[in-house]
Amino acid sequence: MESIIRKITAGSLKYGEKNNVAVFLKNITDGLRNSISILIFVAIWEIVPRVGLVPETFVAPPSVVLQTLVKLATDGVLLPHIEISLFRAVSGFVLAAMIGIPLGFFLGGRFRLFERILNPVLHLLHAVNPFSLFPVFILLFGIGEFSKVAIIFWVCLWPVLLNTITGIKNVDALLIKSARSMGVKGLDLFLKVILPGASVNIFHGLKTSCGTAFFILIAAEMIGASNGLGWLVFNAQTNYQIPKLFATTVTIASLGLFLNYLFLRLEHKLIKWKDDIVQY
Amino acid sequence: MKKVWNQILSRGIDLSGLVGFFFLWEFVPRLGLVNEQFIPPLSKVLLYLWKLASDGSLFIHTAASLQRMGLGLCLAILIGVPLGMFLGGAASPTFSKQLKPLLKILGQINAFSLFPLFILFFGIGEFAKIAIIFWSTVWPVLFTTILGVQQVDPLYIKSARSIGADRLTIFRKVILPGAAPVIFTGIRSGATQAFLMLMAAEEVGAKAGLGWVILNSAVNSIMPRLFAAAIVIAILGLAINYFILFLEHTIIDWNPEP
Repeated sequence: MESIIRKITAGSLKYGEKNNVAVFLKNITDGLRNSISILIFVAIWEIVPRVGLVPETFVAPPSVVLQTLVKLATDGVLLPHIEISLFRAVSGFVLAAMIGIPLGFFLGGRFRLFERILNPVLHLLHAVNPFSLFPVFILLFGIGEFSKVAIIFWVCLWPVLLNTITGIKNVDALLIKSARSMGVKGLDLFLKVILPGASVNIFHGLKTSCGTAFFILIAAEMIGASNGLGWLVFNAQTNYQIPKLFATTVTIASLGLFLNYLFLRLEHKLIKWKDDIVQY
Repeated sequence: MKKVWNQILSRGIDLSGLVGFFFLWEFVPRLGLVNEQFIPPLSKVLLYLWKLASDGSLFIHTAASLQRMGLGLCLAILIGVPLGMFLGGAASPTFSKQLKPLLKILGQINAFSLFPLFILFFGIGEFAKIAIIFWSTVWPVLFTTILGVQQVDPLYIKSARSIGADRLTIFRKVILPGAAPVIFTGIRSGATQAFLMLMAAEEVGAKAGLGWVILNSAVNSIMPRLFAAAIVIAILGLAINYFILFLEHTIIDWNPEP
């Protein structure tokens, strides 16, 4: 089909011009082909409750979920919760990055001995289950915003810090020595040799901590908050409003996917030059 | 003599951070810099830990927690690894590519958001908690298994085929050993996730288990008990990790690719 259209529209092209119509159509058909499984899944999701295989009170079909979602959005209920959830997550994440990355630079680079001493402690604190620390944070910082941001900060800090340290330590010493032998030093050395060398690990740390942050955010909001997406899920469950529950879950999943996609694009832009990245 | 001294010094430096940390933990609350009610000194925590261990409740809770996590993890492995192998190798590439976006989206769905759903389906009993652990564990295991199968050096497969090996033999002798290290890494990261979710699931609604101990201590403000449980959780997590590493080194008794 697309080949036919491509042949028709190609007749009027000059040399070197891109066949935009064909590219556009190809993108559409590719997108459709890629999402067949999703469409089948949504179809099953729609049919099964309506047919009665699963009680409709337990599983809301996508049409109902979409209706509820639109209603929540237009009622102005959804947006404040999304805003506050994002605010908490982003604050914790940015704080962790602002402290973790420079600290990682210092520990990985200049203060090697200090890093060696601190290493077990850092790994210990990283391994402590954040859920065990929930009550401690709430006790220390109250039930307000600060405790949530603090939990997310804690959870984000360790991957960023540990990955930055690893990244800096693993910069190929040969590269540094070569640069030094040409007279590069100080800030130039840092910006042009060390930073790019460590960037993969640093980015990996940021990506990991972003995913974990979002995850812990929802949990924290479910347990001890009065607003935000996690609280919305909890609230929907308590009031047995299943469509609302599904709608919020879909929102949370979409947000997560979007963040993931953002990071993929960033990674593509920043780290594309490194060629040993394995992905599924 | 100097060599021994250097070794001792080196060890001392490595451990000094931990020692310093414990030192701070002991004295900062005592000195009043942090409210002693909120963060009890290390000695009180250790005392409580001893109490818990000696009256047997530690064992009961640890066993309950481990049982839940073990079931969730085993289920995830039993489903994730074969499915991953199927999708990574045996299934036609187009089928697997088709499924990939769907799986990615499903894997993104937060287990917490599904928690109410699981409770609705499975009741407030054990199975809902095991279902949450299963859900959050199966995705890392599945994805890493697929990756593991796909990254087996095609040269090995082609060599085996050229000698006339049939598909089953190729699977048993080339793909399984080749993918095993990556699969184990996936299992380990799945176990970490499982442990994390276990605590969350227990904190929300359970009657026994280490997560329940934490919740109970928080509600009754018995802070030493909370920290004691947190320490046990951390040690348990490390122990599980090392156990899986041990299994990995027992099963993979050849040298995987450097």
